[in-house]
Amino acid sequence: MVDHLPNLGREQEMLEAMGLSSIDELFADIPKSIQREGPLDLPPPQTEEEIWADAQRLLGSNVAMNSRPNFLGAGLYQNYVPTMVPMLATRGEFLTAYTPYQPEVSQGMLQAMWEFQTMVSELVGLPISNVSMYDASTAAAEAITCAVRVHNRKASQPNVIYVTEWLPEHRLSVIENYILGSGIELRLLMTNPDGTVNLELAGAAEGCCAVYVEQPNPFGVIDEGLLELKSLIGEKTALIVGVNATSLGILEPPGSWGADLVVGEGQPFGIGPTGGGPIYGLFACTKPYLRQMPGRIVGQTVDEAGREAYTLTLSTREQHIRRHKATSNICSNETLIALMGAMHMALLGPGGIEKLALRNAAGCEATKRAVLEIEGIELLHPKAAHYNEFVVKLPQTAASALTFLDERGITGGLALDSISEGASPNWLLISATDQTKESDIAALTSGLSAWLRQWEWRIAHE
Amino acid sequence: MSDLFAFAGTEKAGYAQPAPLLPNEEARACIPDSIRRSSPPNWPRASEPELVRHYTWLSTRNFGIDTGFYPLGSCTMKHNPRINEKIVQLPGMNDVHPLAPESHLQGLMAIFFEMQEMLAHCAGMDQVTLQPVAGAQGEFTAIRCIQEFHRSNGEAGRDKVIVPDSAHGTNPASAAMCGYQIIEIPSGDDGRLDLDAVRAVVGPDTAAMMITNPSTLGVFEPDIAEAAEIIHEVGGQMYYDGANFNAILGKTSPGLMGFDAVHYNLHKTFSQPHGGGGPGSGPIGVKSHLAKYLPKPVVVRSLDPEGLEGWRYSWEDPEESIGKVQQWHGNSAAVVRSWAFYRRYGRELEKMSEHAVLNANYLRYRIMNPSPEQAEKIPAMPIDGAPAEVVKHEFTLSLSPVKEATGVSGKDVAKRLLDYGYMSPTLYFPQIVPECLMFEPTETESKEVLDKFADDFLTILAEPPELVTSAPHTTLVSRVDEVWAARNLVLRHPLE
Repeated sequence: MVDHLPNLGREQEMLEAMGLSSIDELFADIPKSIQREGPLDLPPPQTEEEIWADAQRLLGSNVAMNSRPNFLGAGLYQNYVPTMVPMLATRGEFLTAYTPYQPEVSQGMLQAMWEFQTMVSELVGLPISNVSMYDASTAAAEAITCAVRVHNRKASQPNVIYVTEWLPEHRLSVIENYILGSGIELRLLMTNPDGTVNLELAGAAEGCCAVYVEQPNPFGVIDEGLLELKSLIGEKTALIVGVNATSLGILEPPGSWGADLVVGEGQPFGIGPTGGGPIYGLFACTKPYLRQMPGRIVGQTVDEAGREAYTLTLSTREQHIRRHKATSNICSNETLIALMGAMHMALLGPGGIEKLALRNAAGCEATKRAVLEIEGIELLHPKAAHYNEFVVKLPQTAASALTFLDERGITGGLALDSISEGASPNWLLISATDQTKESDIAALTSGLSAWLRQWEWRIAHE
Repeated sequence: MSDLFAFAGTEKAGYAQPAPLLPNEEARACIPDSIRRSSPPNWPRASEPELVRHYTWLSTRNFGIDTGFYPLGSCTMKHNPRINEKIVQLPGMNDVHPLAPESHLQGLMAIFFEMQEMLAHCAGMDQVTLQPVAGAQGEFTAIRCIQEFHRSNGEAGRDKVIVPDSAHGTNPASAAMCGYQIIEIPSGDDGRLDLDAVRAVVGPDTAAMMITNPSTLGVFEPDIAEAAEIIHEVGGQMYYDGANFNAILGKTSPGLMGFDAVHYNLHKTFSQPHGGGGPGSGPIGVKSHLAKYLPKPVVVRSLDPEGLEGWRYSWEDPEESIGKVQQWHGNSAAVVRSWAFYRRYGRELEKMSEHAVLNANYLRYRIMNPSPEQAEKIPAMPIDGAPAEVVKHEFTLSLSPVKEATGVSGKDVAKRLLDYGYMSPTLYFPQIVPECLMFEPTETESKEVLDKFADDFLTILAEPPELVTSAPHTTLVSRVDEVWAARNLVLRHPLE
C-alpha cells in the first residue's frame, strides 16, 4: 500500500463530481499507440519503516570519513558542521519553499540570502555575490564565460582565456564543456617547478579576456606570486581566482590583490562532503561584471508602505525572461546549502573564521612535518607553504600505498594521477583539516613507514 | 526586524572550537607575511542563542509547502517526506567522499545503480547518468551528448535546435550555451504543437528538437510521435524536458513517444525538497546510441559473492564521454532522497501520476464551474489557456476576460491569493497565454484543500477590484518595489 496520497479511496467521488467515471478517462488523451502496456517492472511499495531499514543497511555499508584516519580532500574536505545548522535549515518553511518569486511571503529566505551575499562579499573582498552556483567547478566555468561576455563584446578582445596548469579533471573538464559553445580558446598558464605560476610567461595573457588561477593551487601550494598577477595581465583582462573558502580566515582576500571575480567551493561552511553533493559554489565579482553574471541575486528594497524588504533583482539577465539570450541557463541553484553556509559563517564570526583557518593550517603543517620525517618520502614542492593539502613523492605508486593503508583502516589521500593528467603515479596528495587529530597523523606515518619497509623487503627478497 | 549584523557580542561569546594541533603563532608562521590576511571579514558577532532566534524568526517570514497549499505550476510542489531528511543525515551519506575507494561507497553506489535502472525503465531509455544537478544542467548535458553524436557522425554542420514558443526558458538557454542557434516555432491556435510549423523549419541543419509533454499548458500533445518522426527523418534528435514527468509516469514514456534523450527533475517528480531555490537534481536518460557520450562516470555492477548483497559496484567511464559537467557525481544526497521517495511507491508509481492528474482536473473543474450563487457575483470568468477535455498534472487559465471587465490582472489575483494563505500559481508563464496563471496542485493535496482553494479563488473574482489590485493586505510586507531594487542595487549590508 502506498501512502502520502490524501485522496486515496476518494477517486470515484471526485471523478463523479466532474461527470467522469474512471481514472482512465483522465488519460484518454494519450494516443493508444504510445500508452504503456502493463505495470512498471519495479518492486512493490515499501513503508517508511522498511525504507529506513534498507537505507541504514545500504548506507551503513559505506565507510564514513570520520570513522577512521582520513587524508582524502582534493577540494572537498572533512569538516564539522555545528548542530544548529542542519536543524534550523531544515525547518519546513525554508526546506519546502520554492525560489522566492513572491517576495511578500518569502522575506525570510530573501533576507537570509542577502545576508549570505554580504558574508561572501566580506570573505573574498569583492562587493557583489550571487546566491550560489552548483559547485566550485561550474562557478569557475561560468565566471570565465561571464568575463568573456564582458571583454569580448563587439570582439574588441581576443576570445582567449588562460587557466592555470595542473587543474584537476573535475574542474578542467567542466570548464571545457561550458566554454565550448562560445568558441572560447583555452590556453594554459604554465607553472614553475616549485608549483607556483610562472610570472614571466603570464604576461602573454595580457589583453585576453580572462585568467583563471587558484589560491591555494591544486597542489595545496600558497602562491605569493599571484599578488602580482593583476599588474601583469592588465586592467582589460579579468583575473578570476578560485579559492579554498576556509583559507580566507588567514589569507588575504583576492579582492585586495586585484581579483575581478572570485569563485570557490562553499562546502566547508555548512555541509559535510555528502558524497560530492549537494554542495555549493561561491561566485563574487566587481561591478563591471554584475550585469553579465549568472544566477540569482537578492537586492534590498521597500514595500508600498516604505518598509524595508528584499526581492530577487536583475532578473532580466535570466533564462525565464531572456530565454536563449540569458547570461546562463541556471535556474535551480543550491540555496538551501548556501543557507546552511550562511548559518555556519554567522556562528563562526570574524574570530571563529580565523580560528578555523588556523586549525586547518595547523592540521596541514603537523601532518606535513610528521610525514617528512619518514625516510624515502619527499615533498613535491619542498619550499612551498601549503594549506589543507600537499603532494609527496613516493618511491612506488601512490595507488599501492593507498591500498596498503586502506587495508589497515587508513584513508591515506589521493593518487594525484587519478585526477590530474601528467602527474606521476608516485605522487600522493595528502589532505589534512581542522578535523585531523594527532592519532590520525600517527596512524598515517606508521602506516606509510610499514608500507615502505614492505617494499624494501620485497625488493631485497625478489 | 532582526538584523544579523547588529549583534554586538564579543569574540568570547562566539562559537568555541577545540585547540589546534599547533600553537596559533606557529600555524600563522606557515603563511607567508605578504599574503596573510590583515583584517578578518566583518561577519556577525553573535552567539548560538541569538542566531537560533534570528533564523527561526526568518523562517516564520517564509512560505513553504509545509506552511500551506503551493499550486505553483511547472514546479511540482509536492509533500517532502521527512524520513528522506533523516536518511541523508546518516554518516554513510553526509560523511562520505566521492573520490573514496569504491569499496567505501558500495551502499551509495547500489542506490545510484538502482536509480539509474529505475529512471531508465520509467522513461523508456537505455542508460541514465545522475551527474547533472539541476534540470537546466540536465538539458545542457543531453544537448552536449547530442552535439557529440552528430560530430562523430560527421554532421557537425547541424547547428539548429528547435524549441516551441511555450517551452521553459531553460531549453533555449541550455541549447544556446552549447553554441546552437535557436529556432522558436509558434504554437497552434489551440496552444498545441503545430506539426506544419515543425515541418517548415526542419532540414539537414536540424540538430534536435526540445519539447515537454504534457506541454507547459498542461495538455498532452497527441501528435508527439508524428513530430518525432519528422525530426528523425531529417536526422535530428528528440529531447524530452522532464519537468512535467509527474503527469505521465507509468501511463506512457518519452521512449514510447519517440524521444532519444530526457532529463528528470528529481526535485519535482521525486520530491527532493526545493529548499528555496535548490538544490535540485537533473539526471538524464538516453537511448543506446547516445549512451557512450554520457558524462563520466556511471555506476555498473558485476556479480560478486562477497559483495554487497551479491554485487560489486564500480564506476565506469562511457567510451566517448563528453567529460564532466559537475565536479563530482552529482547531487548524491538528492538522489538518495529520491530513491527513498520512489521506494514508497515502487511499481505503483503510476498512482502518483493518477492522483496528480485527478487533483489537477478536479481543481480546474471546481474553478471553472462555480455554483449559481458564486457565478452571480463574478463579473467575468477566466478562460482556459488551451482548450482541452482533460488536462494532465497542471492547467493554465487566462485572466484576460477578468482584466477587461474589471481591471484586475493575473498578478493582482496572484497577490490576493497570498492573503488567503496560499502560494500563488505560476504567473505569466507560458508567455503565449495572456494574463496567465498556471496551477499545479500535485497529488499530495486533499479534496478539502482543493475545494477550499477553488471557493476562495472564486471569492476573489467576486471581490471589489480595488481590494484585489491593492493586495496583498495581510502579509508581513505589502507589494515590494522591484523597480526600486533594480535601480538602487543594494546587494549587501552596508555594515555601517
